[in-house]
Parts: sequence; C-alpha cells; structure tokens
Amino acid sequence: METTRKKFNWRRFLIAALVLYIVLLIGPIVGLDIPVIYAAVKANPLQLVQFLIIGISNGAIIAIIALGYTMVYGIIELINFAHGDVYMIGVFTSLTVLSVTGTLESKDPVRIVFGLILALIVAVVFCAILNATIERLAYRRLRNAPRLAPLISAIGMSFIIENIGLMWAAQAWLVPSFGTTGGASQKVFPDMLGILFTSMGWNVNLLASSGIALRLTIKDVLVIVLAVILMTALYLFVQRTRLGKAMRATAQNRDAAKMLGIDIDWVITATFLIGGGLAGAAGLMAGLYNNTAWWFMGFRAGLQSFTAAVLGGIGNIAGGMLGGFLIGLLASFSDGYLNARWTNALVFATLVLILLFRPTGLLGEQTGQKA
Amino acid sequence: MKNIRSGITFGIVGGLLTFLFGGWSVVIIGCLMGVGLGMGLGAKLERKDPVQIAISVLPTALVSGAILVLLSIYQNSFVQEAIGKHPVESTIVLYGSLLGFLGAVLFTTLLAALHGLPEKREQQWKMALLALLIVAFPFVDKLTSLRWTAQIIFALIFVILGLGLNIVVGYAGLLDLGYAAFFAIGAYTTGILSSPQHGIYMNFWLVIWIAAGMAAIWGFMLGAPTLPLRGDYLAIVTLGFGEIVPVLFKNLIDVTIKEPFTCWILPGIINLFGAKTTMACITLLEHEDLTAGEKGISPIGRPYLPFIGEFKSSDPIPWYFLIICIIILSVFIIRRLRDSRLGRSWMAIREDELAAAQMGIDPVKTKLAAFAMGATFSGFAGAFYAAYIAGIFPSVFDFSASIIILCVVILGGIGNINGVIVGGLVIMTADRLFLPALKDFLASLLTHTVLPSISNPVVQLAVKDNANPILYRFLLFGLTLVIMMAVRPEGLIPNEQVRAELHSAEEETKE
Repeated sequence: METTRKKFNWRRFLIAALVLYIVLLIGPIVGLDIPVIYAAVKANPLQLVQFLIIGISNGAIIAIIALGYTMVYGIIELINFAHGDVYMIGVFTSLTVLSVTGTLESKDPVRIVFGLILALIVAVVFCAILNATIERLAYRRLRNAPRLAPLISAIGMSFIIENIGLMWAAQAWLVPSFGTTGGASQKVFPDMLGILFTSMGWNVNLLASSGIALRLTIKDVLVIVLAVILMTALYLFVQRTRLGKAMRATAQNRDAAKMLGIDIDWVITATFLIGGGLAGAAGLMAGLYNNTAWWFMGFRAGLQSFTAAVLGGIGNIAGGMLGGFLIGLLASFSDGYLNARWTNALVFATLVLILLFRPTGLLGEQTGQKA
Repeated sequence: MKNIRSGITFGIVGGLLTFLFGGWSVVIIGCLMGVGLGMGLGAKLERKDPVQIAISVLPTALVSGAILVLLSIYQNSFVQEAIGKHPVESTIVLYGSLLGFLGAVLFTTLLAALHGLPEKREQQWKMALLALLIVAFPFVDKLTSLRWTAQIIFALIFVILGLGLNIVVGYAGLLDLGYAAFFAIGAYTTGILSSPQHGIYMNFWLVIWIAAGMAAIWGFMLGAPTLPLRGDYLAIVTLGFGEIVPVLFKNLIDVTIKEPFTCWILPGIINLFGAKTTMACITLLEHEDLTAGEKGISPIGRPYLPFIGEFKSSDPIPWYFLIICIIILSVFIIRRLRDSRLGRSWMAIREDELAAAQMGIDPVKTKLAAFAMGATFSGFAGAFYAAYIAGIFPSVFDFSASIIILCVVILGGIGNINGVIVGGLVIMTADRLFLPALKDFLASLLTHTVLPSISNPVVQLAVKDNANPILYRFLLFGLTLVIMMAVRPEGLIPNEQVRAELHSAEEETKE
C-alpha cells in the first residue's frame, strides 16, 4: 500500500526562500538591516526592554481604539474610517477642557486631578455623541445600499472630521497654547501627569531608585491599568448585560434579531456610542502619554488600530485587545530600530500579510469572509 | 414661469462668480452659463420646431443675461471699491458686459433650439458646438488675459485620472483608495527617465508610453496578491499601497543594496567558528539618490513637436491641446474596452461575482485586467503632469490626491464617462479657480471693509484666522462624498445600470 506520507513541497519551499532572500536583499532600504539591528541590540540590550514598555503602553491605547473598529465591524460590517479621527477629536476635546478650566497653568494637585477627571468625562461624552451622530448622518440611510456606498461615505466623514480638527487647532483664542502657527502644525499636549506627580513629590520614573537604566513611569502603569479596566468593563458589558446580548444577537443575524423584538437602530447607536466613548478616553490617555495633539494623528492611529482589529480577528473583542498590544509592540520596535517613517508601511505590510494568509485573524471565529 | 425662475438663478450665480474674478471673466462665464441653461431648458421641452423653441426660451435667456450683466457692472463699480481695488476701465466694462450678455443669450437659445432637431442631428450639432467651445476656449482666455487655461489643464489631468479610476471603481466595482500611487509611479518614471537626476534624457513621446506601461506593471503586481480579497479589505490594502508609495519616493535618497550572503551571512557563520574572513562583499548600489526626496525631481524634459517647438511653461496652449488629445484617445479606448468582452465581464463581476464566476468568467483575472488598465491611464496622466509642472514632489501624491480622484468619479457618476469628465471639471475648477479667487476676495473684503468695523480684537483675530477657504478645501471633498452618497449615490450624470443597482435595495425595502 502507498504510504500517505506528504511529499516535501519543493515549489513552496523555493518560493519562500526566494521571498526571504528578496527581503534580506532590499530590506536595508527600509532599515531592515539585520547586522545593524543586531549590533544595536547587542550594544544596548536594555533598550529592547525600554521599547517593550513603550510598545505595551501605546499598544494599550491602540487596543482601546481597535475595540471601536471591531465592535462596529462586528455589528454592521462597515470599516468606520472616521473612528481614528474621532480619537483625534478626543485629544483636542480634552486639551480644550484642560485649557478652559485653567488646569494647564495650575500646580495644585487637587485641581489637576479634578481637571483631568472632568476632561475624561467631557471627552468620552463628546466623542460618544460625535460617533453616534456620524452613524446617524452618514451610515444609517445607507445600511441596505451596496457595500461600497457606506464605505465611501465613511471616508468622506473621516475627511470632514480631520478638517474639523484642523480648524480646531487654529483657534488660538480658545486654547492659547495652540499659538499662532496655524492649525496644521503639531501642538503640545502638556505633560499633566508628570506635573501632577512631581507636585505630589513622587518620582515619575518608578525604576529611578533601583539603579536600572530604564524608564518605567507612572504614566505607563496608569495607561495600561486604565486600558485593562476599560477593556474588562466592555467585555463584561457585552457578555453579561441585556444590551450586550442584543448586540451579539444583532451581530449574528440582524433580521432575526429584529424579529425577536430587538430595536436594531438603538443597538447600533449604542455600539457607536460605546466605540466613540472609548476613543475619547483613548484620546485623553494618548495626549497625556505622548504629549502631542495633531489634526492628522487620527490617520496613523486609525491605521494601526484597524490592523490590530484585523490581526486579532475583526468582530472579536478579545482579539482586538491582543492585536492592539501586538501592533503597539511592532510599531515601537519599528520606530526604535528601523525608522519612524517606515512604521506605517510596516503596519500596512503586516495588514496585507494577515489578510492574505489568515483573514480570520489570530482569534477570529467569526470569519471575515462572510457575505 | 419656471423657466424664468431658472434663468434668474443662473444669472445670479453667474453674476456672483464675476464678483470673484472681475474684469473680462463675464464673457466666459456668460457663454458657459448659456450652455448650461440652454441644455437644461432643452432637456425639459418637447421636440418641436426649433424656431418656436428659440422664441419660447428667449425671455429666459434675456432675463439671465440681463441679471448677469447688471451684477457684473455692479461688481465693477461698487464691489471693486469694497475690496480695495481700482474700478475697472469703462471700456472693459462696456465690451465685457456686452459680449457676456450676447454669449449668454445666444448659447441659451441655440442649445435649447437644438433640442427641436431629430435626436441624431441634435447630438451632431452639440458635438460640433462643444468642439468649437473647446478649441476657442484657450484663445478667448488669452485675449481676455484671465489665465484660466493653466488651471483648466490641471482639471483635465484629473479628468484622465478619473477616467482611469472609473474603470476600477465604476466598471469592475473595486474601491481603490490608493489610485494616486499609480499617478506617482507614472510621474516618477517620467521624472527619472528625462531629467538630470540620473542624466537620462529620453524623448517625452517615448517616456509617456513607458510611464503608462510601468504603472500598468505595478497595478498588476499590486493587484495579483490583493485582488482575491473582498471589497472593503481591498479598499484598505490599496489605501496602504497609496500611502507607502509616496513615502518610498520621499525616502529613496540614500539607497545601499548589498548582497546578503557574501556581506554578512557567510562571514557571520565563519566568525562563529572563530576564523577570520576577508570575503568580497558584492554591493549593487551604494548611497544612490534615486528620487531626490523632498526636493523633488526638477527640471523634467518637455515634449517637442516640429512647427511648435519645445512646449514652454509660459504658454499653456500647446499643453492644453496635448491633454485634450490624450483625453480623446483615452475616451475612445475606454469606450471600446467597455463594450468589449472584457468590459462586459467587468460589469458582470460588479453585479454579482458568484454568478459571473459560474458563467465562466475568471474573477481574479478580470479584476486584475481592470486594475492594470486603470493604472495605465494614470500613468499617462502622471507623465503629462511631470512634464507640465517640470518638477515632481512626493507630497502631491498622498492619500488626499486619491480622495480627490475618487470625488471626481463619485460626483460625476460612477461608471459614466461623460459624468466623470463633468465631475473632474467641476471639482478641479472649484478647487483651482473658485477657491483661490474666493480666498483673495474674502481676504481683501476683510481687510478693507469688515475688519475695520470690528472693535473687539479677539473676534477680529478669530475672523481673520478662519476666513481662508483654501485651508478647508478637503472639508469640501469630504462633504462631497458624504452628501453624494446620501442624496444621489449614482452621481450627477448617472449610468443607468449603476443607478438601478444603487436604488434596488431602497425599492425592496419600500415594497
């Protein structure tokens, strides 16, 4: 009898070897120069850990934004292009609240804490309403149209929101720290957490006294803890509450859910509200962590978090979190060892590879090939 | 009565446009207004005797022309003062107004009257009239020294781009958000092959074909792995490609390529065993500046023709006719393609991929052909653009360019060649002519009339900072996409099939 032993597939092996060779050959153009990276890691191994910390913290923010993509995609199968820009509006909203309440100039810890909490609430509420408004204006009436129609509408919305950010960044009378450089330049988001902790007499770097040449700041810990709390809350909400159950039902089969008496419009609005609120929270966190506000920052964040959502398996909340952390790490290592200008390209390349080889993502049970 | 009302609307819109441009612009605006009004009126009327139609629309034509002229005279005598310019010479006002009035009345009645002819004759006459307008435009523009031709050429470049994207989005139904990448590839091919950057000076008439071929090859190479993806994923992947290509062109300024085996893999392994090696490292490129980065490639070779000589940047007329020729050629090719077997299979794929595959159409091959064909036309546009601007910069080709091209297709009408041409002209004239003029008008109006009357300095600053429409041009593009999708997804001049498809869902839900 013939054995069923699989023959070694030479053709596939050769293609893989060729691709690898080409990557090694032209990789150095985009900074993927293995001897150089090896030398850099060898010279300073602690730097690797440092990039890991930065990657996880940024990954936490990306994960929160990715949840907005993945929830919306799970429920109406639409890539909400404007989502990254809602996050950008979150940054500007919180910065404006901090400025208007006078928190930016204050050195009083109590006042800073109250200012930050107020900024969080306003940013969350504002972005939630903004996201739901976008759905109402641009997507709802296209729900039964061919797939491309809502997608084009979403791109248009993204452009509109970006330009609202551009206008916002030019309003120096509202936020004096924007300065007179116009809306297109990057603005500084003051390091309120650093000011807060120093004013309370703490050292921002938790490892300062240990003698290790690393920075693990309170900010890192705070961002990661807050992200984990938000994600757990969302997970519990979707799994345990009545509305969460309605969302899952709508995601599975909209018509059947409607027949069972679920108010589809309200469920979808609620999804957008939650996604927008998360983006608003992520906006404040990113502003405090990275200390910049820029009208175009939503594009990169949107790209990274969409890739994260796809990597984890779009429509899958736990997958979105996992993907967020992985993409954060990838971006951080790329920023550190290759060059920041290639990071977007690398993230896109990752996205293409996932889509080609595993379109369901790492944890995706809901296939991306539905319909 | 309804006719008179539309005449009044056209007259007011045209008159307000003369506010922005002033001077001789009333002549061209009058003629264009007449064409628009005449076509609009004609389409509503029944086919009867041309003379009768002409008489029935004459009052409307007179009203619109009169309003236009009154507003333009008002502009020249009062508005000029408010924006701090000297009043225009009275001869210009007189002759300009007269010609504008005549143009408006003549074209309105003529085009409306043409509707009285049998359909075939009407089409022929309209084509002849259109050809006349196209040929006459740059010369009228030169005579009246408005300098619009240079801007119209940009609009025509985007018309070609729109026609190419229309193959991908309109015929094959694939959303390509990175179309500007192919434009960039066409432009950079031209730049690299006919500039001092690498010391290669090829003839433009050859380079334009190489650029188109290069864009097609890249369309093929990008499409091959990604086209099996479903619609919205494809959109994101093409967006990524569109984002990466300008970044590459921006950063390929110091390229070193070393063969990895001889340079570090084998020496590394040998080093592991403690031996010292001095192996020859094969270096393919070392510190090569391929694209000149942010500086951009400049100057770029220009086309040359006998009798006309080398095309100059100071004289846009030869460029204008060159691009008109490219557009006519493109429209001819695209129409033939659309009606060919390939074109029909594109539409079959767009309507229902599964059914088309069952009928024996290979979806991936067909889509790939659409991608490559679409890319070819942007290669033409890129080559023309590079030669016309004589300098290319990576920032021109970013995501926003892709969105502008998408806007052209969506506004004009997905899948309709005439629609895309109209869309390209509307969007780019708005962007290149209307907005800058509006900006200048607002700025001078503010400094001379509005700002002195505001006493509060904070309000003054806020008004001054925000009254710049150019800053927010992309807001208009975004609004175009959203509003078109919500109100009229089939575009201004729809393709019947697409329209039926887009509205089928609505009708189903109504029933």
